[in-house]
Amino acid sequence: MPSVSRRSALALGLGLPALMTLASCGNGSSGSDGAAAGEPQQGGTLTYLEPQTWTTLYPPAGGFYPNGGLINNLTDRLLYQNPETLALEPWIATALPEVNEDATEYTFTLREGASYSDGTLIDAENVVKNFDLYGIGDPERALTVSEAINNYDHGEVVDATTVKFFFSAPSPGFPQAVSTINSGLLSSATLDRSGEQFGPGNAADLIASGPFVVSAEEIGTQITLAVREDYDWAPASLGHEGRAYLDEIVYLVASESSVRVGTVTSNQAHIARQIDAPDEAQFEADGLVLYAAPTNGVNNSLSFRFRDPALEDIATRQALIAAIDRQAIVDTLFTANYPLATGALGAKALGYVDTSEHYAHDPALAATLLDEAGWVAGADGTRAKDGAPLTLTFNEALPQPRSREVVTLIQEQLAELGIDVQLLPGDQATQDAARAEPGKVQVYHSMVARSDYDVIKSQFSSDNRNALLNGHPDGTVGDEELDALFAQIASTPDEEGRAEASAAAQAHLAEQALILPLFEEPQVYGHVDAVQGFSTESVARPSFYDTWLAG
Amino acid sequence: MSAQTLTPSGAPAGSGAPARAPRLSALRPGVVLSALVLLTALAWALLPGVFTAQSPTASVGASLQAPSAEFWFGTDATGRDVFARVVHGASHSITAAVVAVAVGLVVGTTLGVIAGSVGGFVEEALMRLVDMLLAIPGLLLSLSVVILLGFGTTNAAIAVGITSIATFARLSRSRVISVRRSEYVEAAFGSGGTLPAILWRHILPNSAAPVIALAALQLGSAILQISTLGFLGYGAPPPTPEWGLLIAEGRDYVATAWWLTLLPGLVVAAVVLATNRLSSAIGQGESA
Amino acid sequence: MAYVRRRIGGALLVLVLAFIAAYILLAALPGDAVLARYGNPDLGLTAAQLAEIRAAYGADRPQLVQFFETAGSFLRGDLGYSIQSGAAVSALLAEALPSTLTLAALGLVSAVALAVAIAITATHPGLRGHRAARALRNLLRGLPPLMVSLPVFWIGIVLIQVFSFQLGLVPVLNAGPIESLILPVATLAIPIAAPLAQVLIRSIDEVLAQPFVSVARARGATNTWLLSRTVARNAVLPALTMAGLLFGELVGGAVVTEAVFGRMGVGQLTAQAVAARDTPVLLAVVVISTVVFVLINLVVDLLYPVLDARLRRSDAAAPTRRAAVAVR
Repeated sequence: MPSVSRRSALALGLGLPALMTLASCGNGSSGSDGAAAGEPQQGGTLTYLEPQTWTTLYPPAGGFYPNGGLINNLTDRLLYQNPETLALEPWIATALPEVNEDATEYTFTLREGASYSDGTLIDAENVVKNFDLYGIGDPERALTVSEAINNYDHGEVVDATTVKFFFSAPSPGFPQAVSTINSGLLSSATLDRSGEQFGPGNAADLIASGPFVVSAEEIGTQITLAVREDYDWAPASLGHEGRAYLDEIVYLVASESSVRVGTVTSNQAHIARQIDAPDEAQFEADGLVLYAAPTNGVNNSLSFRFRDPALEDIATRQALIAAIDRQAIVDTLFTANYPLATGALGAKALGYVDTSEHYAHDPALAATLLDEAGWVAGADGTRAKDGAPLTLTFNEALPQPRSREVVTLIQEQLAELGIDVQLLPGDQATQDAARAEPGKVQVYHSMVARSDYDVIKSQFSSDNRNALLNGHPDGTVGDEELDALFAQIASTPDEEGRAEASAAAQAHLAEQALILPLFEEPQVYGHVDAVQGFSTESVARPSFYDTWLAG
Repeated sequence: MSAQTLTPSGAPAGSGAPARAPRLSALRPGVVLSALVLLTALAWALLPGVFTAQSPTASVGASLQAPSAEFWFGTDATGRDVFARVVHGASHSITAAVVAVAVGLVVGTTLGVIAGSVGGFVEEALMRLVDMLLAIPGLLLSLSVVILLGFGTTNAAIAVGITSIATFARLSRSRVISVRRSEYVEAAFGSGGTLPAILWRHILPNSAAPVIALAALQLGSAILQISTLGFLGYGAPPPTPEWGLLIAEGRDYVATAWWLTLLPGLVVAAVVLATNRLSSAIGQGESA
Repeated sequence: MAYVRRRIGGALLVLVLAFIAAYILLAALPGDAVLARYGNPDLGLTAAQLAEIRAAYGADRPQLVQFFETAGSFLRGDLGYSIQSGAAVSALLAEALPSTLTLAALGLVSAVALAVAIAITATHPGLRGHRAARALRNLLRGLPPLMVSLPVFWIGIVLIQVFSFQLGLVPVLNAGPIESLILPVATLAIPIAAPLAQVLIRSIDEVLAQPFVSVARARGATNTWLLSRTVARNAVLPALTMAGLLFGELVGGAVVTEAVFGRMGVGQLTAQAVAARDTPVLLAVVVISTVVFVLINLVVDLLYPVLDARLRRSDAAAPTRRAAVAVR
């Protein structure tokens, strides 16, 4: 008698995989192929899926992708950075700024007639108010300074359409900084709000001048943008003028990767951000399109914290570089959209230098180097020096694609050479707390997206993100020369000088074996082919101004 | 998978059973099968090397290969043999489930039985404490405990166990109270029995059935709750091949590589079903 | 009245205990909300800038001072602001609570219906005779453990894959209010129904094994009558206890369902707030869930004596005898 029930239970169990196989084969049902590009059509509501919910619309804190994806479509900037060429073009400013010799004074002329959605004009007074907040911050209101603006002193209203900004030291990165979402312009009333009032629940009250305005918000799940009919000040190099094509954009949160992918592939939504590498194949089906945008900044890489006793010796760091098989990682975990890194910066990033000769995979060399550095294999296979085992803790880069799997593969590769790799488990807060504390993390996995020469300084300088933990909390700095090289990039007034300084810093990083760049990290979007004219800004945040829906 | 391999051996054993004494009716094929499932899982836990030659933590082939003769359960996202991970994961998962249930059962039942049989102020105080445990959302409690104790299978098990203390306490208390007020216990008190003696002779045995049922269910659900912690990003660090974590980490591939969640899921289901079957058989055996 | 007063006193005590325990627990976690938000490398703040912000939030003061300040504002009814997002905690809850309560209530109702259906069918004496019927009975009895042996997120993901993405029956995101509830409720109900059904089956079995049942049956009582009158009434008690316990779990435990289906709810809010060490949000969640819990338990406790005659000590007659008498 129970044998019957057992058999039926078994049948039930076996039925499921069969169904799932069916499910995995049955793709491409959305094969309505006729939506070829034609004349852009106006109207329609686009549904866009984000893996996480946004946290604030205060532009300097917009680096988090869900925030930036909104701010980019809600705000205008003084200048526009062309995502193809990375050149700066006029936007709210009618031309590139006039700048003095040592890059400490910038004068912008503003276009007339551009207005915020509450009807107030973008005038000199308002623009100065924007940058006086973004350049200095207001800790009392918990409003932070923009990471992209260095050495800001104050702004001045010259006349109604002319503004002048003053800096306490050269700030050659300023023109690019004003083009990023971190410098999105807001109405004067909005700038008076507190940090809390930029958070969820307030989106519809935030007034900006962009092609879309927030029309509805449900905290934590969705936010709806509506087109601004009278918008007429788009950057000239974009596909059209006037209002955006779409009537509405609905941003929905779908944190589960399989749900995000399935919703688009089954035609229930138009476009999703963060398509994981293993899911890319699903977008090869008819009617679906994959869009991988480069992030043009510091590559997805490992930073070796050289002040930690385990990594003090350059030979040990060189051994790690020789021991880690980057190609195997990219081949196993990623796709062609994740090219193997050839240097600290992405190949299209400003100031990029090829340093790939420093990053050759050579396990035999790695073993020799480890021996030279005094790491001797112990009884359990793990190497040790003076009784201290060669144990390295990696952080888990939660925002980065498949960081856990990357570290797992490295763990396996390094184990063969007697190096014990541990992954620091924990959520974002745990990771952030451990990141800045000496001795907790020896190898730091991360990347930064920003298309300016300054990006490398942002990532490695001890007064910025301090990825190498060159600066300790006690105020000491391990490699002063390195910090000086980064400071050079941010303070040399002319373009060539900055490129040279950046090249010098990259050479130092490579020669001292301080980092191992893994791959160029893209932002991967997947959409149905009814979505036309979709593009991204210079660090791959979605721009919906030119986007339209076919059919 | 294990259910399939065990079917042939289960059937003949079952056919012999009805001939025995009626007392042994518990030894039906289902029970034998359940025992075999559990024994297999235990054997995996104790001697994983006998069942698979592959390492659970090393890449052995291309990633995301479908099940084949070489890799019975296919390979995962980094090219590891899923079957080897399931076999090696048995020890982690079984230990974790036992730890979790033990924490809940021992602490919870102790609280509940003391409260239910002593009564008065003690009962009041203990039950408020239990209420507090229940009132704080279990999710918050277990996530906090994991963050506090550190990430790892045993700590996750403790976190899961703590959330079930209150459930065990309340259930055992309600059983103790209803048994205590039944005729025969009152009769025992009436004939001069002491509380500990009556507790041991009458109250405990008669209160046990639902608590055991809960414990049996909890065994399986502990594995699943640990899996949920993994889903929320609070699981054991890699490369731990814990079952719940295997399911949680494989979920992104439901549409493209179903074997990553389904096959470990079936193993978990088989073990949970077997535990249940055995516990109900034991329950029947006791009451007969 | 004394009883009610004692109950309310107890409830307040639980509330205070839960608040203090939660505060201590959260304070003990590594990292705090300000660090979690502003220490994120995405902002690129320097240590000095971070210290300024911490001072602005008062996060650098002693824990005890912070505790009394938080407790004070809670007493005044001010739940404060989420540090992670700056949104008012009351606004977050106003969004999350109705969604979760709807989901939990529907989930529990569906689960109870499912559990009762399984339990009554599985214990139906009519299923003892025929071979196929007995097989069905065994299958049904195997169902609850099977239902709890699948992780909730997996059930949810598979339901979505099959019913929404492949068969196209129900949209998941971007769906109407009713459509968007179907799959989440199913996902939630399946694992909740399992322990309920398990307890029901055990209890019904226990009651059916008692002598008065055979007596009743010998006197011509039909199965339906037996189930509805005596058995169900005795079995419903432990099931009700379970249900009371489970609802609290549902409110906080809907997190997985909410994460999978992209719903904003208390569970999701809690998980995100734990990751962000967002104490104001978490304390509010603890207070709300304690209140819900206390209320539900009050209801369950008040129903206890009604449902189980054995608790009415004044009534001398034992239930077994009374039932047997009643049959006559």
